[in-house]
Amino acid sequence: MSGEPDPSSSHGEVDSSDGRPSRRAGDETESTQRSRAAELRDSCSRIVRVARWEISRTTGTVDRKTVFVLLAVAIAVGIVGFAAADDGIGLEDEIYVVGVDEENPYHDVATASDQFRTVPLEAVRIDDGGASGNVDVVIEDRRIGYVGENGVAAYDAFRDAVEAYNEALMAGEDDETAAYPVLVEIEYQDRSFDGDLEPPVESEADESDGSGVEDSEDSAEGEAPEETDGEDSASDEDTVDLEGDEDEPTDGDEPPLESDEDTDAGGDANVTVTGSPGDLEPPFPFQSLILAFLFVVPMNFVIQAYGSTIMDERIKRRGELLLVSPASSREIVAGKTLPYLAGLVGIVVAITLAIGGGFLSVAATVPIALLFLAATFAGAMFARSFKELTFVTVTISVVLTTYVFIPAIFTDVTPIALISPLTLVVMDLQGESVTLGAYLVSTIPVYLTAAVVFLLGLGTYREEDMFAQKPVPTKVIDAIAVRVHGKRSVPVLSIVFVPFVFVAQLLAIALLFAAPPLLTFTIIFFFAAAVEEVAKSVHVYAGFSRARFEPTLAAAIVLGTLSGAAFFLAEKGTQIVQLVGLHEFESAIAAFGPETMAGEVADGPVVFAGLLLAPLILHVVTAIISAVGATRGRTSYVVALGLATAVHALYNIGVILLVT
Amino acid sequence: MSRDEPTRERRIDGGSDEQTQESVQRGPNPPAPAGASANGDGDARESRFGPRWAVACRELRSLRSEKTIILAIAIQLFIAAFSSFLVVGFVSMYDPDGLGGQDIDVAIVGEDPATLEAAADDQAGLNTVRYDDRAAAYGTFENGQVAAVLETSRNEHDQLVVDVTAPEEGIETTLLVVQLRETLEAVEHDERLANADRLASTPLTIPDEVEASPYVGFTYTILVPLLLFLPAFISGSIVVDSLIEERERGTLELLRVTPLSLADVVDAKLAATAVLAPMQAAAWLALLAVNGTTVARPGVLILVVAALSLLVVGLGTVVALVAPDRRQAQLLYSVAIVGALVVSTLLPEHPANTVAKVSLGSATATTWLLVALYCLLGAGAFLAARATVERIDPAEL
Repeated sequence: MSGEPDPSSSHGEVDSSDGRPSRRAGDETESTQRSRAAELRDSCSRIVRVARWEISRTTGTVDRKTVFVLLAVAIAVGIVGFAAADDGIGLEDEIYVVGVDEENPYHDVATASDQFRTVPLEAVRIDDGGASGNVDVVIEDRRIGYVGENGVAAYDAFRDAVEAYNEALMAGEDDETAAYPVLVEIEYQDRSFDGDLEPPVESEADESDGSGVEDSEDSAEGEAPEETDGEDSASDEDTVDLEGDEDEPTDGDEPPLESDEDTDAGGDANVTVTGSPGDLEPPFPFQSLILAFLFVVPMNFVIQAYGSTIMDERIKRRGELLLVSPASSREIVAGKTLPYLAGLVGIVVAITLAIGGGFLSVAATVPIALLFLAATFAGAMFARSFKELTFVTVTISVVLTTYVFIPAIFTDVTPIALISPLTLVVMDLQGESVTLGAYLVSTIPVYLTAAVVFLLGLGTYREEDMFAQKPVPTKVIDAIAVRVHGKRSVPVLSIVFVPFVFVAQLLAIALLFAAPPLLTFTIIFFFAAAVEEVAKSVHVYAGFSRARFEPTLAAAIVLGTLSGAAFFLAEKGTQIVQLVGLHEFESAIAAFGPETMAGEVADGPVVFAGLLLAPLILHVVTAIISAVGATRGRTSYVVALGLATAVHALYNIGVILLVT
Repeated sequence: MSRDEPTRERRIDGGSDEQTQESVQRGPNPPAPAGASANGDGDARESRFGPRWAVACRELRSLRSEKTIILAIAIQLFIAAFSSFLVVGFVSMYDPDGLGGQDIDVAIVGEDPATLEAAADDQAGLNTVRYDDRAAAYGTFENGQVAAVLETSRNEHDQLVVDVTAPEEGIETTLLVVQLRETLEAVEHDERLANADRLASTPLTIPDEVEASPYVGFTYTILVPLLLFLPAFISGSIVVDSLIEERERGTLELLRVTPLSLADVVDAKLAATAVLAPMQAAAWLALLAVNGTTVARPGVLILVVAALSLLVVGLGTVVALVAPDRRQAQLLYSVAIVGALVVSTLLPEHPANTVAKVSLGSATATTWLLVALYCLLGAGAFLAARATVERIDPAEL
């Protein structure tokens, strides 16, 4: 069941043209180099041939009736959508009932708002002394009361409706200055006190600090890479400008309502909005966010088709014909993926052109597209049936959409938003500049994760896995076990899994961003520890369970040490976290371990070395614990994993309590 | 990761009849009726209901063994959590009281600050500090002692001009702007009343503020409809996959060798998947009730879900029988669902609005008519699926 290593994929990590004897026999001369070039050319031509075949088959088998139905639905949706765009889809229409007589001035409020349905007062029934009735809000003369469970909410909604009604009333007035007696002009200024990366703007802005909470927020912002010196000088100018036009605060002649330009349009350091108080909108990149979401929508449809085509090969052993062709499994997969990737890139470019994004939008969306395709490929390789595939793709859609979308909401709020490449799109659409560091932090984990997922899926692109019915977890273990041969591969895999750990932990931070701190800490401490422990031990377990290693204690200790040490080294690479100032966030420290702030708390070199070495020992010890558990089968592996996670989490908590 | 392995091992060790029932080994030959008789359902075989029951059971068992149903529920939970997260995030961003945040200090400078101060005093969470000196006011802003500076003046039209200087970004600014808007709107309202002689109409008095949950609207108009409709859409997707899979793997052929007619098989699959949605809907409503969100007429809601589920599953069945392959079937199905959701805005009430009204207890005659219409449509879809089965030639599938 586990399957012997297949010759074509077992060398997959090392060679680019696997399983070809000629390549191994060749000696290191010029002729082999030339033959390598020729091989590469052959390989490319095979990939292109598979891609061409995929395109022709996809377009060739589309039924005319399907196209007709799709077109008909598209036209219907277009017409109805266009017609309904004006007044919304009416989800909130008439959900509350107001008891009011027609001569009452508030009657017009209820009829002007969609949310309310009116009944005359004589039809109002109220039971149980106001606990229930056939209305939510009752209005007698000028008194307004509410009834029943949802009465409060209805009353609150009615209050908003009155405000909206007043606004509409005023908009119809002839005397504009009487109707809009208050004019507001809001100017956003960059206050850069307490920033480490930036030199202080003015002497008075130097070492003063505000109230406690405000301080941490703002300094975190000040260190974000996107705020460079260029903007700094801009803010300096603002201040000068502001003090210059003292005598004439606003242009009073201007009709107030005509100048309600969007706050998010410019995205400059200095945005000025003028209008009546009702026009004030918080500086939230709502429009950019919606536009950025447009990039993600088509991916969810494309992966449906992509998953189908991969799964199709696995039904009735159709893919066997391709497998026996001279093309290697990696060439087949590359060829089958290429059209879909190209299609997605085409869509992304089209959207970018349509909404006026820049090159950055494309550059940031391509890794997202790759991740969608990679996850779908692995899902289609692991799924047992179309039904399962549907759920796997929906899961992928939902999880990945969340991963890219939620952090992007916080684009202007915290640097944590950078974990999602979509944040770069939002920034691009707002006209903000993005540093190379920010781009790399956002996209590298995504690129790496996509690559690893593709590799894992490729491991099962072989006869015994493609055409067999095995549960998904078994296939995952299979896919990992394919990559395990010899002790040397264990540390390699530990390193390969680091991007996963990174992405999972970042997602946890982003999801729990708004939760209460204590709860967040506890969850993140244990979740982060669990993710790291799984990453260090799952391939060791795969190796033991697929008989790649002798299940002895000595082997477990050696493998655990290798895995833990390699993971430690790779994790040091994630110190780029500091690049974006993530260590300002307590939850980031909880996830990435206390070493994140080692540089700040260490008094001398000895303490610093201790802080760096202690995690090495920790990683090795916990990896050995789970490796020993893995020698004895599934149950003991799970138990050992739990133990290792507990040790890891308690260590992290302990260190943080010690140093803070 | 590998939780399922030993279970699977055990299944294989078990009886071979049992094994063929499980989709784990569902290879080329799953003779469902044979399995049913081996399972002791022999007496049920005498009626026509029996074999269908066996097919339906097999359908549900395969969902269970693939853990798809668990995944489906997890997805729904995730979507619900995701949308709630978004709403809670947005609402707390616009409603500082919801965050329980501390007061925001703003500096006021310039002429006629009294009206503004009075309004700010009424506004919870906003404190004002008056400065006579502009430089001093902006100095406190620069060093972070106050969150914003408001500079007031009167222009030639006797309008109150408020110049706000706020920090550029961050969640603090969002809260500040929301607070300021409410305060300034209160000022505006007072000033308008003072201008009443120049206005053709007098603004209505705004009712007093109350402590209301800002989530009620979202819960009833989005979350409840979402949780009720998702199971139906998922059921439709399951039936498409299930039928297409039988076709493509050639197992439908084998089923036809049994005494079952194609109509029996389709009926059974349709029933098995259609019944899942109202069950899940009932579970969601119970869960919501535990969380303190009660709906007015749960029975009616479950009826609506059952009708919609029948409608969607019937549609899925037709698509699966007519479409040439899985890719096109799924595409047609999802496009049809999206299309139906958009086109249903033409109805006097959107289905989501109907659900919201029923659950809030403000249903009208139109609402009841639409509920009846959905029931009719559900029955119609079932008949359409029936007609499609009779029209197509099983040998061509």
